[in-house]
Amino acid sequence: MQAVGTRNRWIWSARILFLLPVSLLFFFFFIYPFFFTVFTSFTSWRGIGSMKFNGVKNYAKLIADPTFQKALGNNIVWALSQGLIQVPLACLVAMILVRKPFGWRGLRTIYYLPNVISTVALAMVWVAIYNVDGPLNAILADLFGMEKHNWLGNPDTALFAVIFQTVIYIGYFMIVLLASAMNIPRSLYEAAEIDGASTLVQEINITLPMLRGTLITTMTLAMAYGMRHFEATFLMTGGGPAYATTTMGIDLYLKMDALRYSEASTSGVFLIIMGTLVITLLRKLFGSSDPMSEMAQ
Amino acid sequence: MKKPLASIIGNTLKWILLISLLSLALLPLLWLLVSSLRTNLELQTDPFGWPQKFQWVNYANALAMASLPRLLLNSVVVAVVTVVLNSLVTSMGSFILAREHFKGRDILYTILTAGVLVPVISFMVPYFSMITRSGLYNTLLALILVYTAVNIPVSIFLVTAFMKSIPKELEEAAIMDGCGFFKRFSMIILPLSRSGIVTAATFCFIYSWNEFVMAMLLTSSIESRTIQLGIKFFSSQFITDYSSMYAAVIITIIPSILGYVFLHDKIIGGLTTGGVKG
Amino acid sequence: MMKKSRLIAVLLLLCLLFPLGAQGQAESGQQKEIELRWASIWVGNDSKAPAVEALVEEFNTKNAGKIKVVIEPQPDYNAYEQKVRTSLAAGQAPADIFTIKFNPTTATFYQSNLLMDFQGKLDDAWKGTFDAGSLEQSTVDGMLKSLPMETAILPIWYNMDAMKSVGVNAMPATEQQMFSAFDKLKAAGIAPTSQMTGDTNAWTSMIWFSHFAVSLGGPNVWDKPFTDPAFVEAANLIKRMIQEYSTADAVGLGAGGSGGHFLAGRTAVFSNGPWYAGRADLAATPFFDSIKIGGLPAVGEYEDIMISRLQANICAASSKDADKEQAIVDFLKFLTSPSSIAKIAETSGAMFAIKTDYRPVNNLQKQFYDANEAASTTAFDLEAALGAEVTLEFAQQLGALALDRISAEEFCALVDRKIER
Repeated sequence: MQAVGTRNRWIWSARILFLLPVSLLFFFFFIYPFFFTVFTSFTSWRGIGSMKFNGVKNYAKLIADPTFQKALGNNIVWALSQGLIQVPLACLVAMILVRKPFGWRGLRTIYYLPNVISTVALAMVWVAIYNVDGPLNAILADLFGMEKHNWLGNPDTALFAVIFQTVIYIGYFMIVLLASAMNIPRSLYEAAEIDGASTLVQEINITLPMLRGTLITTMTLAMAYGMRHFEATFLMTGGGPAYATTTMGIDLYLKMDALRYSEASTSGVFLIIMGTLVITLLRKLFGSSDPMSEMAQ
Repeated sequence: MKKPLASIIGNTLKWILLISLLSLALLPLLWLLVSSLRTNLELQTDPFGWPQKFQWVNYANALAMASLPRLLLNSVVVAVVTVVLNSLVTSMGSFILAREHFKGRDILYTILTAGVLVPVISFMVPYFSMITRSGLYNTLLALILVYTAVNIPVSIFLVTAFMKSIPKELEEAAIMDGCGFFKRFSMIILPLSRSGIVTAATFCFIYSWNEFVMAMLLTSSIESRTIQLGIKFFSSQFITDYSSMYAAVIITIIPSILGYVFLHDKIIGGLTTGGVKG
Repeated sequence: MMKKSRLIAVLLLLCLLFPLGAQGQAESGQQKEIELRWASIWVGNDSKAPAVEALVEEFNTKNAGKIKVVIEPQPDYNAYEQKVRTSLAAGQAPADIFTIKFNPTTATFYQSNLLMDFQGKLDDAWKGTFDAGSLEQSTVDGMLKSLPMETAILPIWYNMDAMKSVGVNAMPATEQQMFSAFDKLKAAGIAPTSQMTGDTNAWTSMIWFSHFAVSLGGPNVWDKPFTDPAFVEAANLIKRMIQEYSTADAVGLGAGGSGGHFLAGRTAVFSNGPWYAGRADLAATPFFDSIKIGGLPAVGEYEDIMISRLQANICAASSKDADKEQAIVDFLKFLTSPSSIAKIAETSGAMFAIKTDYRPVNNLQKQFYDANEAASTTAFDLEAALGAEVTLEFAQQLGALALDRISAEEFCALVDRKIER
């Protein structure tokens, strides 16, 4: 009994030692600021002077605000497009590259390149591409005889246009999935090969199930990024026209810009809580990616 | 041998996908290169034209940037220390979260990873007041701490997922052989999840290298500023010298590509050849 | 294995010790010399940078051993503004000296005790050097917590080469002449004006709208509710401009695109402040010498009103140390003295709230000074008069207005809701 007790205590000190650095940093840079933000969201504060308690007025105002409602809808589209289109596409590419086709090392590096280029420069490129007299319209006119269209200037297509440009960032999730796919034991494929399974069947029966955990992780991550998306859209459209591309991140930034600090805090808190609910829901839906339960099957 | 037609179609589709993504990824970089060799007037009036005359002067402007070596050095120090610190603390934390069982583990994991949702700009006021009150304002350490912390959720997310995917049998075998807590971490889990750690480290590196808003907020002099602030000197209140700025962007992309290639191709490349055998 | 854990322990210890070491270097040299930190935006490739840096140097040499002004360079204006408000919200002045763009949003800063009130420091001699109107505009509830320094007028620019090519030889003087000139340009395949609804302020179109509104409602139009007929009429006019007399990409276009059209000669009429006159890319256009600037022809009963704004007001941190406050005042007196301002104006062509004898030699910059003097009255633009939130709503809904998704009345009602009363 004595021995078990000391062992337990020892294991716990080791666990705490391992968790301490990450928890401390997280506390100072996430927990404390989060509570500060929650606190200010219940006040009326313009960044100057003392904060006056305001109850839930900011929350009521936020929910009733048409701009915020629009932003919320846009964020849902963002999150879904990132999680359900971007990640599966990245997964497809990773599955191709893991079989080491010609030039795969080069491709892996090049696909990642757009992630290191400044967003300011990329926004300028896309604004020019989508322009009425830009190359996209020229190509569409040549191929399909389509009329010129103001992609970013039309509220009906602007959101689609700003989301479409994220396809160049596919390398981000691809390298995660690729790293994971490379860890799949070769022997599984060799065995399938002997059984005469085609490549496609191998991918469906071996690769996808083995990538399940990483897929859930990347999808969640992609959706989270979609939820807090801000910079590229802000640089391309400023959230317009008529708030067609406004996201919660843009709304929050502009509130701070107008010194509406407590209202910005309210948006921030709302975003974090809603996102956490979505993530938790996703984990419940897809089940835990815990190997202990997976391996038991 | 079997179904050559299907395989030909499959192959064609595969290469169409790979090549269209290749061009999508390369075009912005090519555009940036071409634009960095044009005049501002050319760039403003026709974004997709070819330079009438190569404007090497843009590169001269970029290289003449005040204190370029100092800014680059600061960026390297910040990025490298951040990556090391972040990888260290998150791989230790992830090990506990992925491989140990205890009450409250899932809650802790959910809280840590919920951080990926945080729009960091909404935390600017508390960050600023913490950094100034602790006397870290205008130091490289301020940037290192903020960048390390901001990347914790993503790193925890990725590294924990990788650690979780390691088959339990491997660890059990090690325990049978008498491996203790530290040995399980350093000899089994750490090496097996290295590709995940390196992937997270890559993201952390790129973030630290490109970050600008926090760097602007938390520093005030050349001694503790990074290269991204140097690039912004081409953009004043009313006039942005885009072509020189793009030349500077090209110059600063080179180290980040090298960093990526080093982290990814060298470390992971070396790993997968001698990697896991199921 | 023991080595690894020891390594981790050492690293952890380092993490903890690192801050202490770094903290030590922050505050050391404690001398009698008063150091003033200036968070300056006039750095890098800003046209005012060389003159400002030279002036600081001159001041430091004169006051060697007593006062030393240190420039903390602030590139990227948006990030700078973010830093100013974050710092004030965290209860600290961003620096001993800094600048703000004065409008109802930034006037909120006046409520902060962190800012020095110049009201008591401004002696008659110093006060006399400032433009009285600008001083009055910078005064809120009797407080003067920022000194007007850089001002700007926002006139209409005409590419006279393009105008002459369609037989128009002078700037239009009446509304009728203006529309007839625009029709001729349009017939010749030149988009008459550069309009835009993008970014967060619809910059060039916001300037046009301001001209329309003050001409229709007078210089005090901004005090009226936005549902006033003057604004509705102005909204109809700006809609017509975007729909009929601009480029096809005007909705959603940003300031870069709007300026790009003018630079490329794709549009003939533009609007912007004096800083645009100093651009190297503008000077490189073939029509640079033929640019004429002026007010917009009256579209209402009020004539000759120029649109203006306070572009940079200087703020200072309040201090319990009287010597430090005096040092700040000494430096600002030097910086805003007519001779200093003349030096900055000379190299930049910018306009100031401090009266000097300086007259630009550059043709375009000279026209700005002339236009300013020719105007009978000046009135703020929409952003300067109503602040960031109203301008944002204006820009967003302008897109909807131009696409006929909302009427001018609905547009004005939407913007009106954002005005604080």
